[in-house]
Amino acid sequence: MTTTVRVRTGRLALYTGLVALTGLFLGPFGWLILTGLKTQGELAASPVHWLPDHFQWHNFADAFTQIDFLGYARNSLIIALLYATLVTLSSAWVGFGFARLSAPGKKTLFGILIGSMMLPQMITLLPTYLIFAKLGMVDTYWPWVLWGLSAAPYLVFLFRQFFAGLPRELEEAAIIDGAGYTGIFWRIFLPQSWPVLSASFIIAFTWTWGDYIAPQLLLSTDRTTLAVAVMTTYVNESGAPVPELQAAASVMYVVPILLVFLVAQRGFVAGMSTSGLK
Amino acid sequence: MTVDQITGPAPAEAPPTRHGRGRGRGTSMVARRQRAFYLFTSPWIAGFLLLTVIPMGYALWLSFTTFDGLSPHWRYIGLGNYRELIHDPVTWDALGRTGLFAVTSVPLSIAAGLGLAVLLNRPVKARGLFRTLIYLPAVVPPVGAGLAFKALFDQNSGATNGVLTFLGFDAVGWLADPYARYVLLMTVLWAAGNIMIISLAGLQDVPRELHEAARLDGASAWRTFRSVTVPLLSPVLLFQTVTGMIASVQTIMPLLLAPLGDTTGITTVPQSNYLYMMHVFAQYFALGRYGYASALLWVLFVIILAVTGLLFRFTSGAVFYHVDPEAKK
Repeated sequence: MTTTVRVRTGRLALYTGLVALTGLFLGPFGWLILTGLKTQGELAASPVHWLPDHFQWHNFADAFTQIDFLGYARNSLIIALLYATLVTLSSAWVGFGFARLSAPGKKTLFGILIGSMMLPQMITLLPTYLIFAKLGMVDTYWPWVLWGLSAAPYLVFLFRQFFAGLPRELEEAAIIDGAGYTGIFWRIFLPQSWPVLSASFIIAFTWTWGDYIAPQLLLSTDRTTLAVAVMTTYVNESGAPVPELQAAASVMYVVPILLVFLVAQRGFVAGMSTSGLK
Repeated sequence: MTVDQITGPAPAEAPPTRHGRGRGRGTSMVARRQRAFYLFTSPWIAGFLLLTVIPMGYALWLSFTTFDGLSPHWRYIGLGNYRELIHDPVTWDALGRTGLFAVTSVPLSIAAGLGLAVLLNRPVKARGLFRTLIYLPAVVPPVGAGLAFKALFDQNSGATNGVLTFLGFDAVGWLADPYARYVLLMTVLWAAGNIMIISLAGLQDVPRELHEAARLDGASAWRTFRSVTVPLLSPVLLFQTVTGMIASVQTIMPLLLAPLGDTTGITTVPQSNYLYMMHVFAQYFALGRYGYASALLWVLFVIILAVTGLLFRFTSGAVFYHVDPEAKK
């Protein structure tokens, strides 16, 4: 009997712990939502107002109208769709090369590819900005096109792992029929890889939606993304930040990404867990 | 480090049908495969040269100059910028803080992620839901995370000070010195779900027989974890250490946590969160010293390269590769 009791208290402790942990992890975001529902007076008052006296739902509407929220969201969407589409295709293309083809120097190239995954992006971003400025590409979306076209090492690795696992017979028959590798890639391998394609697309989309530094560097106030706008534009006439609007806006900025994640969880997690580089 | 060390063996390839320089079908197939290889990898090769090698080379050149983007009278000063940074106490302080941040945040978040993974690898009810909810913060973009923690730790309206005052303590200025560094650390730990997911994937590859064998030998749970689980996860943990270190060195979270956190508001970052990258931004944006900022970046790059190299060297004996991703075929 005592063992059952001990097992039961053990289980109870386990679940209490798990619920507490979950609360700890969701807490900061929950507090952000609550912050977005308070008045400025409630936010300035001390001690803290745990709950707003009246939920200020209009903060969300105000955050929407005080700045051109939809315009910034559209900019974010354009950049993220552009980059995610291009980088997914180019990474699949390059990944196919590393998985299915070979030539002298392949090992070295792959070493550089993996090594470049560990290259701090910030170190290339500042000089890249200066070069783009010289080329007149600042304040355009061309940098994202170029970044997209040149594939991302992490996603190349993802595709390479997937393509390497497909059976050889897939391409053999096509080669005997005289098909080129380009045709094999488009007509045989790509249609097989929907799970990786969607994982890659979602991962790249999330990166771009969340990126703060590149748009801040490369784009002007009108063309910039929601990430920058949420961070910098919620100020009153005297230039002081308006915390409740900023909180409401950041909730609206984050929620789409959370929804994308929840819908596409399986592929997203499968893609992310590959970064353990097993 | 070699590629095989971190990725396992390369995918099996069909042996070339014929070696050497003979004519005939076999050789043309090999030549075709080689041409195709370069055709397929060329977008990345071109991108790497144009968007990584050239900018880095450009930064190296700038680091020997006084270029500020405005003045036409910039000139080559050789190692002048490097000499200056060696004698600049602000650089050393920022570097020290960054190092401290990396060596605390990386092990802590790996330990937290691994702990969560072990916990959520147990057969508990609604395991998937717990995993999803704990992972969720890792998907929140940095701007969202920064603002969430700013709201949470606000002097007046923050929940943390709410709890403190409720318990009879004084409110704390979390976002200022000296506490800001702890808030920064917590933003990193908040995203431990990322490491949890990767460790979970690793845990599921650990053959069950190994744990059973250990239990039959009378090993305790802790002993099994230490002697079976951790060694088998070591490649994942090493990769997490390296990428985590590089991410922590370039985190912009201090900017996002600062009062008016934009790139020009660099001066509002509290001293204890003034990391190396903040120093680079300050030189670059606030002072327009592109040459000096480039020198700072190159020094950082060399440091990262050296630390990564040392990490791989010192762990080569301890990291254990057991899974061959291509073995299943």
